[in-house]
Amino acid sequence: MKLIFEKTVKGRDGYSLPQDLFDDIRIEECLPEYAINKGKKLLSEVSEVDVVRHFTKLSKLNYGLDDGIYPLGSCTMKYNPKINEKLASLGNFIYAHPLAPEETVQGCLEIIYDLNKLLCEITGMDEYTMGPAAGAHGELAGILIMRKYFVDHGDIRHKMLIPDSAHGTNPASAAMGGFQVVEVKSNEKGTVDLEELAKLMDEDTVGLMLTNPNTVGLYDEGIEEIEKIVHGKGGLLYYDGANLNASLGIIRPGDAGFDVVHLNLHKTFSTPHGGGGPGAGVIGVKKDLIPYLPTPNVTFNSNQKKYYLSDTGEKSIGMVRAFWANFSVLVKTYTWILSMGPDGLYNTSETSIINANYVLAKLKKYYKPAYDRYCGHECTVTGREYKKYGVKTLDIAKRIMDYGMHPPTIYFPHFEPYAEETIMVEPPESESKETLDKFIDIMIKISDEAKTNPELLTTAPHNTPIRRTNDALAIKRAILTYDDELKLKDELKYQEKDIDF
Amino acid sequence: MRYIPTTEKQKEKMLKDIGVSSFEDLIKSIPQSLRLKDKLNIPEAMSESELEDNIFHIAKKNADFYSMKPLIGAGSYRHFIPEAEKFLLQREEFWTCYTPYQPELSQGTLQSIFEYQSYISRLIKMEVVIPSIYDGASATAEAALMSLRLTHKNKIIVSNLLHPHYRETVKTYLAPHETEIIDLPYKNGLVDMEKLKILIEEDAASVIIQSPNFFGGIEKISEISEIVHSKGALLINVIVESMSLGILKAPGEMGADIVVGNAQSLGMDLNYGGPYNAYLGTRKQYIRQIPGRIVGETVDVDGKRVFVMTMRAREQDIRRERATSNICTNHNLNVLASNIFLSLMGTEGLYQISLLNAKSAHYLENLLLKSGKFEKVLNYPFYNEFLLKSKEDVSTVNKKLLENNFIPPLKICEFYQAENLNNVLLFAVTEVLSRDNLNLVAKILSE
Amino acid sequence: MSNKVIENLYYTKSDEWLKVEDGIGTIGITDYAQDQLGDIVYLEKVEKGKKLKQDDTLTTIESVKAVSDVKTPVTGEVTEVNIKVIENASIINKEPYVEGWIAKMKIENKDELKNLMSAQEYSEYRKE
Repeated sequence: MKLIFEKTVKGRDGYSLPQDLFDDIRIEECLPEYAINKGKKLLSEVSEVDVVRHFTKLSKLNYGLDDGIYPLGSCTMKYNPKINEKLASLGNFIYAHPLAPEETVQGCLEIIYDLNKLLCEITGMDEYTMGPAAGAHGELAGILIMRKYFVDHGDIRHKMLIPDSAHGTNPASAAMGGFQVVEVKSNEKGTVDLEELAKLMDEDTVGLMLTNPNTVGLYDEGIEEIEKIVHGKGGLLYYDGANLNASLGIIRPGDAGFDVVHLNLHKTFSTPHGGGGPGAGVIGVKKDLIPYLPTPNVTFNSNQKKYYLSDTGEKSIGMVRAFWANFSVLVKTYTWILSMGPDGLYNTSETSIINANYVLAKLKKYYKPAYDRYCGHECTVTGREYKKYGVKTLDIAKRIMDYGMHPPTIYFPHFEPYAEETIMVEPPESESKETLDKFIDIMIKISDEAKTNPELLTTAPHNTPIRRTNDALAIKRAILTYDDELKLKDELKYQEKDIDF
Repeated sequence: MRYIPTTEKQKEKMLKDIGVSSFEDLIKSIPQSLRLKDKLNIPEAMSESELEDNIFHIAKKNADFYSMKPLIGAGSYRHFIPEAEKFLLQREEFWTCYTPYQPELSQGTLQSIFEYQSYISRLIKMEVVIPSIYDGASATAEAALMSLRLTHKNKIIVSNLLHPHYRETVKTYLAPHETEIIDLPYKNGLVDMEKLKILIEEDAASVIIQSPNFFGGIEKISEISEIVHSKGALLINVIVESMSLGILKAPGEMGADIVVGNAQSLGMDLNYGGPYNAYLGTRKQYIRQIPGRIVGETVDVDGKRVFVMTMRAREQDIRRERATSNICTNHNLNVLASNIFLSLMGTEGLYQISLLNAKSAHYLENLLLKSGKFEKVLNYPFYNEFLLKSKEDVSTVNKKLLENNFIPPLKICEFYQAENLNNVLLFAVTEVLSRDNLNLVAKILSE
Repeated sequence: MSNKVIENLYYTKSDEWLKVEDGIGTIGITDYAQDQLGDIVYLEKVEKGKKLKQDDTLTTIESVKAVSDVKTPVTGEVTEVNIKVIENASIINKEPYVEGWIAKMKIENKDELKNLMSAQEYSEYRKE
């Protein structure tokens, strides 16, 4: 589609300037010569109408959750309730300045304080911090807390254990936290190999980062043993909450012995993904780790009946961001929890687990499961069988688009020999049986097409706004801005139809 | 439950199809001993109308911020946001979609990011722009880490006039790397050049400055960059008030090697501190060390011009512990907000509003100085924030302002303990304050 | 699935090949490896004169969607680097065994060759 720059008509404007531009003050009176830009920086010149049409058209090239199922494994693409948005955008919240006097922001502080208590109850932890902006940000904060805890106890450790099935953020966060990553292999059941864990867990290891159910959607039944092994060597257990949607009201990470937990509020707690954020990656800890939480936290003075932002103290890892939290995401989370109640939360996990197992049961004849057992809230099957027809999992995913649905997560997790050519389906509780049946039908149809007409898959998608992209070219001939494109104008030679569709 | 379509009867049918007799059969792998025995102890589900009442009630415990005008910035600036932006942002195709891993179904998000990269590249004069890191503070920390990787050195020099939260965040991120962090003092509201010359040595990876700085001061970036480069270090320039970019010279033009910007001013509400967004710009030669996602242009099989996430092999999902950063989910919706905002503003709009901010701030400073109730403590050129020492106790001043529906300025002593900054306020003025508003402020404070 | 194997080369489990001539070993990655990686876009610079032990990382290779270490099959010193491949890594996709060689090394210990696979063994090892 045409870029906003290509819609520019010189002299057009899309903004209404105030009547009074303080013309009585000269520019030289307020800004030093060394700092004033010569001329105006070129942006675009379009009217408000142009902007509205441009972005409306762009939006139509996207597929959103309100368009249909979004069964991305490990992403928990569940319905984003509309009331959450309304309440998060109340004027008293969105115009609240983060450094406004405490007495003027009691409402914001109350939400942060109350949400902390709710999340503690839901996960069995003792205290949360709302600072981290996303899951990986929470991981980093959590790992820094673990680090500080050991340093504080004069017990310097260098290694972090991470299962081979973990999200890439786990090892990347551990490395940012200064730790050497040691990979723990999964066993044939798809869970942590206890013998290997016992061998690897030593007194130079801070602990283990675990997702449970893990990233193939399987509950680690060895969790009690894992807890004993890690704590037995004085280590700490880190819970990656990406898959909490399978546990609400059933099991709490705190009760299973986890010491640090991060939650992706934009997954389990229904806040929208926004095309890749903003979310929030709040972290919860057990009592012993509270002093190390990032600063500040919110406290309540029951005598004065007032909430405060207070410094966590000298043991704190410090700040992980400017200001306090992705506040509007917290309001949405708070709203969601209150609209679900305890039964709604249990129903959420129960339904999502039934959904995933239903999909698994119906698909396993056509797509071999990575592990033949019941799954949590997501199931992992593989497209291996179709390799002999020249069809890869990627092709299956692209073909799903032709049927007007978003494909599941593919090639993740990936580790030999079980999880190859993986297709990971997460059908959250907000997907109805009818939607699942339609998805299953399409998957079965595609499995048939793979055998009878593989080319249909290898050239898919056919019905999407654009088709397969040349990703290698994007790297070799890096065009990262419109100005890069302008420099290559002669070489590119786009036809009108190539840029205006 | 209105968000869960499956009925109890359907669940039974599904369990039957799975081949189990009860839900319990599916979760046998969860040890009984660890199961919750009772219902979660949280409030029972509220209806939508009860929910509204409840949250309205809590929101009312805040001040009526909608009708208040802020005289405070300090990292969070209230600028006017056109309704068209807010309206477009809420389109579900943008609002509810996932990270654009499947370009065939996400050209809307991808093209928007590309346009944003193009805008920011022109505003800061950098070839490469990472569109989104969570916020200015975490992006500054990422830039610091990037400078360590690029130079293989482990010492950074940080201006004292970098936003205190940003400084704290940099310290937090660098703690595991045992990086030596040296404070660069200020003199008269700007970086102390003589001190910089003394502090900088060949072992420094980078120098981090902010301009306009925390006091609002406009740094002499070209001079600083010469000093920094003479010792082989990189200059990281942080912009906290991005509205300044419409009128101020681009840092890339003045020798900055990495530019980090808090994008909140470009179309984001205050939201009690977040979510905001930050961009990170640099030169092409440093591209292999950039953190986070970036979008590039390519073609599809039909030859259409399309956009994809690119240079992905740096990222955590591919490179794992050797990734340039752990960042995954970022703030892409905020990128879209800024893109729409900048499109509406256009060349002329951004220039005019940017200039207006500077003018109205100077207008207020002048009025307050004339009132005789305030005096200048440091003399430096500023953009839209400035320091003034009050003759009256600042708490009294702020109380008066609050009573008159202004969010009061920052008491600078909350962040800086220098003696001459006692009883000093950091005022911020943006275009949302009209001449009448500013005259009223001066009037209230003259009484 | 592409898995061309050339006779008279040595192979590793991590999918490198080694050609030995007069005590000099030429190193590259196998057809199977390039196929698994997909579009190769970048090869980290290899330092001439660098001494490496068997299984040390010689360089890192990046494709659009993957990244992988190239291990050195034998201990020795890097004597030559294929500049053409550094400049245009996609040569490896087209011709992994001839033009796509990555570096040459002076082999220090010929006994190490015993740890490597023959063409036939490798072919068996990477059979689907």
